[in-house]
Amino acid sequence: MTATHPETAHAGDNARQGGEVRNGDMDQVALDIASPRMTDADAGPAVGPALRPALFARYGDLSKLRYDFPLVLVDGDGGGRFLQSLTSVVDGILREVAPPGAAAESLRRQVLRLESEIRAQVSRGESDSLSLLWKRTAADLITEKGESVFGPLATKLDHAREALHVDGAVIDCDEDTPYRVLVHIWTAVQASKAKAFRKKVDALVMKLSDILKADFMKSDKAHTQEALQSAVGTSFESAFDFAAMSRVLSRGPSEDRLSEDRRRRIRAVLQVLQSQRFYGPGRASERRPDQPEPYSFVFDSCAAALDAFRDRLPEMLDFVKVLTIAELEIQNKYRTALHDPVFAHFDESDLSEDQLALFPSYLVCLRDGRTDPAETLRAFETLASGLPVKVLVQTDDILGTTSPEPPRSSFGAGSARLAAMAVGLNDTYVFQTANANLYRAHDRLVTGMRYEGPALFTVYSGATPSAAGVPPYLLSAAATESRAFPTFVYDPAVGPDLATRFDITDNPQATVDWPVHDLFYEDEALQRIDEKVPFTHVDFVACDARYARYCEPAPRANWRDDMIPAADYLKLAPERSLEHSAYILTVDAGNALSRTVVDDKLMNAARHCADAWRRLQELGGVNNSYANRLLARERVAWEEQKAQELAELHTAEPPAPEAAPPAEAVAPPIPAAAVEPAEAEEPEPANPDEAWIETARCTTCDECTQINNRMFAYNENKQAFIADLGAGTYSQMVEAAESCQVSIIHPGKPRDPSEPNLEDLIARAGPFI
Amino acid sequence: MSAPLTQCLLRLLDGNYTLTDYQSDTLPRWCTGCGDNSILTAVQRLCRDEQLPPEKTVFVSGIGCSSRLPHYMNAYGFHGLHGRALPVAEGVKLRRPDLHVFVTTGDGDCCSIGAAHWIHAIRYNMDMTVLLHDNEVYGLTKMQASPTSPRGLKSNTTPRGALLDPLNPLTVTLGVANVSFVAQAVDWIPEVLFDIITQAYRHKGCSFVRVLQRCPEFMDHRFDPWVQDPSKMRVLAHADGIQLKPDLSRIYRNQETHDPSDLHRAREVASLTEEIPVGVLYRNSAVPCYEDLREGERPNTPGLIRTVLNEEFDKFTIWPEDGGGTAPPE
Repeated sequence: MTATHPETAHAGDNARQGGEVRNGDMDQVALDIASPRMTDADAGPAVGPALRPALFARYGDLSKLRYDFPLVLVDGDGGGRFLQSLTSVVDGILREVAPPGAAAESLRRQVLRLESEIRAQVSRGESDSLSLLWKRTAADLITEKGESVFGPLATKLDHAREALHVDGAVIDCDEDTPYRVLVHIWTAVQASKAKAFRKKVDALVMKLSDILKADFMKSDKAHTQEALQSAVGTSFESAFDFAAMSRVLSRGPSEDRLSEDRRRRIRAVLQVLQSQRFYGPGRASERRPDQPEPYSFVFDSCAAALDAFRDRLPEMLDFVKVLTIAELEIQNKYRTALHDPVFAHFDESDLSEDQLALFPSYLVCLRDGRTDPAETLRAFETLASGLPVKVLVQTDDILGTTSPEPPRSSFGAGSARLAAMAVGLNDTYVFQTANANLYRAHDRLVTGMRYEGPALFTVYSGATPSAAGVPPYLLSAAATESRAFPTFVYDPAVGPDLATRFDITDNPQATVDWPVHDLFYEDEALQRIDEKVPFTHVDFVACDARYARYCEPAPRANWRDDMIPAADYLKLAPERSLEHSAYILTVDAGNALSRTVVDDKLMNAARHCADAWRRLQELGGVNNSYANRLLARERVAWEEQKAQELAELHTAEPPAPEAAPPAEAVAPPIPAAAVEPAEAEEPEPANPDEAWIETARCTTCDECTQINNRMFAYNENKQAFIADLGAGTYSQMVEAAESCQVSIIHPGKPRDPSEPNLEDLIARAGPFI
Repeated sequence: MSAPLTQCLLRLLDGNYTLTDYQSDTLPRWCTGCGDNSILTAVQRLCRDEQLPPEKTVFVSGIGCSSRLPHYMNAYGFHGLHGRALPVAEGVKLRRPDLHVFVTTGDGDCCSIGAAHWIHAIRYNMDMTVLLHDNEVYGLTKMQASPTSPRGLKSNTTPRGALLDPLNPLTVTLGVANVSFVAQAVDWIPEVLFDIITQAYRHKGCSFVRVLQRCPEFMDHRFDPWVQDPSKMRVLAHADGIQLKPDLSRIYRNQETHDPSDLHRAREVASLTEEIPVGVLYRNSAVPCYEDLREGERPNTPGLIRTVLNEEFDKFTIWPEDGGGTAPPE
């Protein structure tokens, strides 16, 4: 049997033409491992024969495929997208300048050729920005074609280049990729934080400077002839007599100036704001010659990061205090007696999460094989501290030494469990993934970097020395496929429970033990055979030369009926497994398909891996055992109930035809209530004999208060009321009623029967009673 | 971005202002019975109820009886040129967006000489409260016809009676793009006036309130039919607008449920002539404010201005050592 060679691939999926490879689509992968057979010694890298899982068959030279790599680390904001794949950038260009159709076909082909050349260069280790790579590669293609720099090819590529709207370093999938990607995203997230920080600080600096400036302008120094002249400038200086101006201003009354204490405090606040080292100066910031360099927040050990945090804590406290003092001063609400003691006792216990979030987070990059293994423990403690620390743990080797059981002590395998343990910390953002998935995990990475608390990123690079023949992209993708290093995220910020926080859906076919893919091959009669092949942990392990001695390719003549695929073997009960031997499908250098029998030790390792995967599935809500048990109990109860009902039906009279359930009564719509003027209960009618005012309707027109401001007064709302009836005459009351613009004064009956002209007054008061 | 500590400390010293804290030493010199008094009282009550710091409050006016108001408020004031209250207020708001800006203007100041500024101020929708004291006459200059004077009014400039129909400030304002708040009040229902001014203040955007006010000196009985017959007042009641208290409801029974978000109905109501509609005619909180749209990513500090200018100049600078190139020397 021959696995389908890329050149004879089935229709619609031609890798040579640049068919897209999705992460985890292992059907398209072909691999070429060439390494000597491993001896019995537990050596380092590559000591076994070349073995390729059959699903790798279609992946030959990755540089000829269009897939997620290389990546562009986008400069600047990038519209919130800090990573782009070269493929997506080129697709964007083609959509803009070469929409589908015959007219643009030539341009499309040239641009795709250019992309392919860039990809090949990057895979050879040439690193540069996208714009420079484009320029260089375009020049090479033009030279190769023998055209001039103004020829048709150059014109086409220039036209396409105008649609290139992003730039940044281009990187391939290799051992440095996790570090570079995470540092890039961290830097971009900090940059947007820095912008907001600077905006706030610059605004405070401006306002405080304005206060000092305004105070200075009231001082004698500002009134000198020289100061006035420099304030006006040279354009109109001949229009002024500055000496006279100075004399006039100096003679004027002294205005309120800031106290020396306050001036000193504002200057001290300005000094701290302008000399902070947490973020570098932006375009709007005043640059001072003596300004110290900003702090670095990227470390290669947790100890160094924690030390730096502790060293900078006093400065952070000072800065937070100063921010508050600045706002108080700007509002003119700083009170020495009240606030000095508050700030004197301000310490780290008063620092809130919001205040900590002002400052950059700390990025710690740890790496398997290059970092002290004790850093793993320290990383855990650092995450548990709740500080805004982002820890990247890169592992290059998941499997560890050739003890096939899950290694218990090596750093590499430990990191696979570190992420699962970190979930238990509850408030730590945890994201585990493989190198191959970094592009698609962009949003998860950004969310983690923006998360205000601690975050852990564990990334398997795929650059395992003992699997040197497998590109890191392929190996890291295989680790995800085989559940050896599954992807998952735990985000405490999205919800209160595990169901919302924990997510494993980024894994291929997350609901099953092993993802299953299609394998097409030709049999001896050159007939196409389609087969569904699972990619198991054993397939992943087989790529590592250290484990080659546990795998034995079986020639066709030795095939037996008791040989079953490894995935099926894993499903057998222990007693039945003794009757069978497990195999995986592999291909050799010529893409000839064969069965490779695997040792029981590898099967045990696969069982452990499957078990760990199922635990992870449970956390992610898949095949959750609690839910399944509850479901089973409910099902049993439901079945019993139904059985009982059936039994009752059989023993009872033939039942009447079941009435259709009454249609749910639909309540008639409530008619919109007409809005009636609010009717209050009628107040007690005022005694018509007594004088009174409808105070609430008073328009403050001063008519009544001008007549008698002891009889009529204003309340706290500047509306009139009768303050002292005895303070004026009935005549004044009637006059006020007549003058009132809104006729709210009701004079009542006169109190003094001896007042002159009472009859006339009563008649005049009539309309107002 | 203020930390909780800052908020706590700021609130500790929130002032406890009373009405008198907003009364300046200058006593109002309006005529007795002038509707401006009612508006002044309503504004002072608003400042007290909202506890606006006097040093953070600005009243901007133009010319006219209305424009005396800043003198009678114990707050910052700018008594400016005729018709220019709105552009000055916009300048204040742009430079100091943290201040509470009120504009008091009259029918002449706003609708005549200031008409151009009025239209664009509505369009810019900057966060301020505009009170149009509409007494339908030029009172300060002793009786000339204004754009809102009724047809037939005999005045010093229209001895045979005003020839034209008056301009309707409400329909004009409702026809301007980006309008976000329009209301009408009358000075003789002070509770409603206060309620409307409060809502106008709380609205984020340019709140335009036309206050029909009496001029006892020159337009003595102009509004008598409406003052004496409450049924001629149409109160626009709505949960999202004003709601009369029961005692006022008994008096002003002519009420209409009017949804302030209904622009078309607002325009119809604004066109009423026999009845005076009182209430919030239109409100749209979604219209953006110009100062928010203009807000940059960073403040225009002297450092930024210097940096940007130098960058621009560098583009055109010839550096001698470079032999004529445009790049600064390394």
